[in-house]
Amino acid sequence: MATRWIELITGSFEDKKRWRQYKARKEQFPASYRTAIDGLERYFMYAGGIVKGDVLMQMLEDLADLIERAAADGTPIRDIVGDEPVEFADTFLQNYTDGQWLNKERKRLTDAIDQAGNDGA
Amino acid sequence: MGKQMTEMLKGTLEGIVLAILAGQPAYGYEITARLREQGFSDIVEGTVYALLVRIEQRGFVDVAKVPSEKGPPRKVYSLNALGGDHLEEFWKTWTFLAERIEQLHHHIEPPKEEGE
Repeated sequence: MATRWIELITGSFEDKKRWRQYKARKEQFPASYRTAIDGLERYFMYAGGIVKGDVLMQMLEDLADLIERAAADGTPIRDIVGDEPVEFADTFLQNYTDGQWLNKERKRLTDAIDQAGNDGA
Repeated sequence: MGKQMTEMLKGTLEGIVLAILAGQPAYGYEITARLREQGFSDIVEGTVYALLVRIEQRGFVDVAKVPSEKGPPRKVYSLNALGGDHLEEFWKTWTFLAERIEQLHHHIEPPKEEGE
């Protein structure tokens, strides 16, 4: 899975650099915070369906900002993600819908209904 | 804080956070702490953070990076003119909604039990 996503962003040299910086940043986190960020990252990769490299990198960098701050302050991970991590993750993902592959289908649906309306349905 | 509260809060949290920032600039943790003090005990920092990311993307806040004792600089958010306009719109919408809901509450009798 991870390889697929790495390949996805190898299209852009800049995104590739950002990806390496992000990975290096994660290495600095205390182990338990790294477990949390890895878990969130995996969920974002699966559930996000984000195909734009720059949007994906922005999302991961925003995530790293949050976890890095939490680690520095010693904020327990539960106080960050709450009792329902999936709910938090879904809320977080909504900020990056610009980059989702599903957008193509959303546009297709909108166009189909426009077409139907114009044809008098 | 029940499920219903969480659901209702989803649509209004943005306005609440903008209103807090209208008072004074704040960073993520301060906003979460204030909400918790005010009884929103289940609010977590991550949810507030996701919201701050969104209002920053939409240009409602200005962000200043303030050095902190340890760790990376803190991002301090302040409401700008566009955010102020949006907050005003939020209050108008809120007033409309609150009035309508109050009307429903007071003018529509709940169905009576059988045999009353």
